[in-house]
Amino acid sequence: MANKIYGLLIFIFTASVAFAQNAGLKGQIIDKKTKEPLSGAYVHFDDKKGGAITDAFGQYFISNVQPGLYKVKVKYSGYEQFKAEIELTVNATSKLNIELSEKVESIETVNIYSKANIESETSSRRAEKNAANITNVLSAQAMQRSPDINAANALQRVSAVTLQRNSGSDEAYAIIRGLEPRYNNTLINGVKVASPDPASRFISLSIVPSDLLERIEVSKTLTPQMEGDAIGGTVNLVFKDAPENEYFKVNGSLGYSAIFFNRKFDEFSHGAVQTKSVTEKFGAGYTAHPGNFSRANLDFVKKNAPLTSLLGFTYGHRYFKNKLGFIISDSYQNQYYGTNSQFNIAQLDSRPGKGYQPVISDVANRTYSTQQLNNGLSGHIDYRFNDKNKIGLDNVFLYTYIAQSRLSIDTSIIGGNGGRVGPGTGAVFNDNRSGIQEQSVENLKLHGTHVLSNHLLFDWAGVYSNAIQKSPDRAQISTNKLINPDFTSTPDYLYTISRIWQKSGNKDVSVLANLAYKTGLGKGSSIEIKAGGLYRHSTRYNSQNEYTLRPTPTATGGKSPFIDIYSVDWLVYNVTGSLASDKANYTAYENITAGYGQVKITLNNVDITGGLRVEGTEQGYDTHPVVLDIRSNAKKTYTDALPSLQLKFKLTDKSNIRASYFKSISRPALYELVPTPTFGESTDVTGNPDVKHAVADNYDIRYELFPKNEEQLFIGAFYKNINNPIEFALTSLVSGQANTSPQNFGTAKVTGAEIVYSKYFGNIGVLGNYTYTYSKINTTKIYTSTDASGVTTSIPKLQSRPLQGQTGNVVNISLLYKNDQRKTFVQLAYTYTSKTLAFVYPNYGYDYYQQPQSFLSLSGEQQVCKHFVLTAKLNNLLNTPTTIKIGGLVQSKDIYNLSFNIGFRYSL
Amino acid sequence: MLTKYSQLFVKAFCACLLLSACSKEETTTFTQIKIPSSSPISPGDISGFLKGTLLTGQTYTVTADVTVKKGDTLAAQPGAIVIVKNNAQFNVQGVLQLLGSKEQPIFFNSDSKQPGTWGGFQCDSAQAITIKWTHIDNTGGPDAGGSARRTILVNRAIAVDIEDSWFTNGQDDLMGLFHATVTILRNTISSSGSTDGEGINLKSGAKGVVAYNVIFSQAGSGIKLETNKTVPFPQTEVEVYNNTLVSNGWRRGSAEPGRAVSVGVNAIGHIYNNIIVNCYHGLELFADGDLVKTTYGNNLFYATVDVYTDLVDSTQKINIRDNFYPASGVGATVISDLLSKKIGNYDPLFVNFDGKVAAPNGYPNNYDFRLQNGSPAYGTGMAKYNQDLGAYTTDNKGNQH
Repeated sequence: MANKIYGLLIFIFTASVAFAQNAGLKGQIIDKKTKEPLSGAYVHFDDKKGGAITDAFGQYFISNVQPGLYKVKVKYSGYEQFKAEIELTVNATSKLNIELSEKVESIETVNIYSKANIESETSSRRAEKNAANITNVLSAQAMQRSPDINAANALQRVSAVTLQRNSGSDEAYAIIRGLEPRYNNTLINGVKVASPDPASRFISLSIVPSDLLERIEVSKTLTPQMEGDAIGGTVNLVFKDAPENEYFKVNGSLGYSAIFFNRKFDEFSHGAVQTKSVTEKFGAGYTAHPGNFSRANLDFVKKNAPLTSLLGFTYGHRYFKNKLGFIISDSYQNQYYGTNSQFNIAQLDSRPGKGYQPVISDVANRTYSTQQLNNGLSGHIDYRFNDKNKIGLDNVFLYTYIAQSRLSIDTSIIGGNGGRVGPGTGAVFNDNRSGIQEQSVENLKLHGTHVLSNHLLFDWAGVYSNAIQKSPDRAQISTNKLINPDFTSTPDYLYTISRIWQKSGNKDVSVLANLAYKTGLGKGSSIEIKAGGLYRHSTRYNSQNEYTLRPTPTATGGKSPFIDIYSVDWLVYNVTGSLASDKANYTAYENITAGYGQVKITLNNVDITGGLRVEGTEQGYDTHPVVLDIRSNAKKTYTDALPSLQLKFKLTDKSNIRASYFKSISRPALYELVPTPTFGESTDVTGNPDVKHAVADNYDIRYELFPKNEEQLFIGAFYKNINNPIEFALTSLVSGQANTSPQNFGTAKVTGAEIVYSKYFGNIGVLGNYTYTYSKINTTKIYTSTDASGVTTSIPKLQSRPLQGQTGNVVNISLLYKNDQRKTFVQLAYTYTSKTLAFVYPNYGYDYYQQPQSFLSLSGEQQVCKHFVLTAKLNNLLNTPTTIKIGGLVQSKDIYNLSFNIGFRYSL
Repeated sequence: MLTKYSQLFVKAFCACLLLSACSKEETTTFTQIKIPSSSPISPGDISGFLKGTLLTGQTYTVTADVTVKKGDTLAAQPGAIVIVKNNAQFNVQGVLQLLGSKEQPIFFNSDSKQPGTWGGFQCDSAQAITIKWTHIDNTGGPDAGGSARRTILVNRAIAVDIEDSWFTNGQDDLMGLFHATVTILRNTISSSGSTDGEGINLKSGAKGVVAYNVIFSQAGSGIKLETNKTVPFPQTEVEVYNNTLVSNGWRRGSAEPGRAVSVGVNAIGHIYNNIIVNCYHGLELFADGDLVKTTYGNNLFYATVDVYTDLVDSTQKINIRDNFYPASGVGATVISDLLSKKIGNYDPLFVNFDGKVAAPNGYPNNYDFRLQNGSPAYGTGMAKYNQDLGAYTTDNKGNQH
């Protein structure tokens, strides 16, 4: 159905292009002083509809106009308006290059806060250069032009940012400067968003389509006005704002994952997934019988994978003399992808002479087939009462539907009940799982900016955020058989079936307000004093209802062989489900109260921003126990004073040097406190109420050079001292499922350096960045050794290691090619990450390390006529696996294969 | 006159002699004052946090989970009767002392008396466990999360003393004793584990003795020894001797045959004088067990059938004799073993046993595994443990049931 719609759209747009007229205008718009191209500038003819917006290289092209005399106007925020007259001739495209001059912010004048929308629409580079703190900005143009379907892909190309991914799914969270997601926070339009994920504080960046984004700002240092719970940095996803001019864009594409050239897609009946559990249908206390549970969702059928389809549009306009503006944007992605995975269990080899090294005890081969449907709908309305007062309403609604099957074959290599005598023999388990997960995030923000007087600016916001995740009827069936030493096989037997209905929700209500006073201090100098506060109340709940189905014993009490899912007999072991008594049913809350004071002094060559932020935290949970349990209910309170000082020296017009100190924290997620297991894909997590929040002292220095047109160089270094970092360490490993719990391991020291460079040579551009990070922390491990007298003991011993999730070397390099005549754009992007500690292994001398990875992607676009561009994107050209090793042993290896998309973009 | 008196004297003396023959020893009876037992628990409904003593001859009904806090003791006198409702369990963080007697055992059972209808003793963090002469029946109902419960679970290095008791119809492991120092003597474990679960599962550095027990028709293995995979030391090391292990290991299917006794994951077993009859696999030593320190011998293996045909899947024909030391393990017969070659060869001659092979969970154990005269189990034992094999020995040190 969706494919037909795309076909129709392509037809309509092609048809409209056929009525071409005979005069045109094109050219480039650049900054007069820096010669930087200005993207997003609006070029139009006075008193005429239509016009064009410049692309990432400042290029514009207006066609299909009648020949004649025109008044050309260019509007660009922060710049003086440009006006000129030009005559367009028949059957020719005239060329007009325009240089715009920056508006001078004259501090001495009385109108210090002249406009209410001062923050919007400046180019990324200028934002980086003028920011008070250390930031990197990725613009919409950069995202649109590269193979980035979602924010996660796009973010990967920001300096010092890598992504943490989960095997078999597309979940992705940002790792900034080698620090794992928990040390970073993700904001939408500057505010925190509730997370639908029961296991984290943030939304997966993969559910935010990049089409919705105006830009992504990554702040690596914090000013007092920013929320203090970011040690690595803050990712701010800025959604598109209402444009000055009519804006319409639509894009679509079709794609496929190459993994399905080699295997089929394992489909199950989505209809058989029961949205309501037996308890929900029939009430508490109902005695479930075998017929209450469906079977077709555990019947895995091999099919050809459908095409991946993406469709998005954005429309924006302003009315009533530009007072009321709105923009609405929707992005729909229906992706089919797969993972082929090996998952091995390592245990200590206690056989004589093996030296107590890890050895693989079980090998599992898994195939994941996933359908992920994302829809992101974002709307924005703003009303400008006048130049001094503006209110706005932002609404972001994200919806994700994931249907995933996992087929797994698990063979015991040694021990247990295996009885393996050589390759091809032993116990074999088939663990097959199906499930549907629906996530929705609703984020509503009402905000206002008011210039109270020439020196006073007041802004405020109220935010309501609600995230819900439903995972109905996660069904898993285990069957087993034994390959005897003579290679004969027993039949399959049903081992167990579990059916879990899980639901969780997170609701945030926040209010925040800031008041700023700014005044001049003579020529080129100013002082701004800012104070503000924030209050946020979050609540979270998790509800879980599990039923266990067991094989029905035969007359002799044993099991009958398993033929297929439709004929197997089972009995319901816990007939009333676990809803009433399951400790996974909890409620939790978090209240944050924060206030800050901040002073920014701008002198001729120095900017000083400093101040203090105080954040008070109150966290608690209740598991509503049936059996009294002292750990079932807890409350934690703490208050942190977080000073910050940011210095910027303007060495020359083209170079800055920055130095910064700030203190920041990282709070455990609410679920991390609740001592109840949460089931994951391959890892279950049990919370720990004793875990403490992390507090860090952060020191940064950065040199910035903007030598010439379109060239930049940043060199920076940082040092962080993190007290009580929170890390997940394995507590147990049972039947291929790891159990981890959050723990504190003392103090970690993190040091690093980064370099960012970009330059353009004619049609070719090079962008590159490199980050080096080193960290160290000590952990108590179990050390097994034999002494001189032959006595072997297992004792605790300290081992030093890097922080969990910390990557040593990160390299991003992009090569760009653009040809203005042919309207061609090609980008080759390369990313390298060195080995990363994935999990802490409990035994001395070993940890789980994700192996180095190189990713290569290629994207290109070709304008075929006015308004219409063809696009193509190829991801993961090197078919890079994600491999986790312990010592020299492969613990897991996930292969995703290459994927590609071909599509179009139409813009007004 | 004198003779008359002397005659009378003699008569009287004789009468005294006669009377003295039926004299009684001195007895002292305190009838007025009775010392009450410490913290007696009143009969009737019990639940919640509990300590004190369950009294002789009294009947108690458990209506919801009972928890014995750290430092508290729950004791039971001989003849106490406990009926558990609502699938409840005992959580023991303190001390459990169930001290029945041969004449007056203690009884724990559910109200429905159906297999798997209450939760047993969850003693993860208990301080000490002593169970003597106690019937514990029909345990193993699902826990809060829907999983089967072990009848007695201990996860701590404490002393666990379980003697002369009866256990029937559990659903998972009957005893899961990790880290503990165990003394498991003269118990009878019958028809436990639904379609999975071991009889006595000892892991994670458990130490001690398992002797003179009868384990009949366990779903999985009768006795299983392992060390923790992550913490290989201290090793689990247990003496397993003079147990009678009959018809174990059939209910979880041929993909996961149960063993009479298994040793794996760096554990050490000393396995002697056991009688193993009709078990799916006999003595299985896995390659990852500590086979250097493990010792075994003087075990009697017997099968009452040449080939056992699975009653459900008739393609499954199992030669039990081939699996006395299964090919999937690395153990092999030793010269002191009594390894049956055919029916009648080394038949232990149980007093009453019909040769049952696979039986359902909850199957009544009305058998008598005492030995008839002429049994090959007499006098062939490793003398360090006992001159005879099996749970019932001529020296009466064995099982008293």
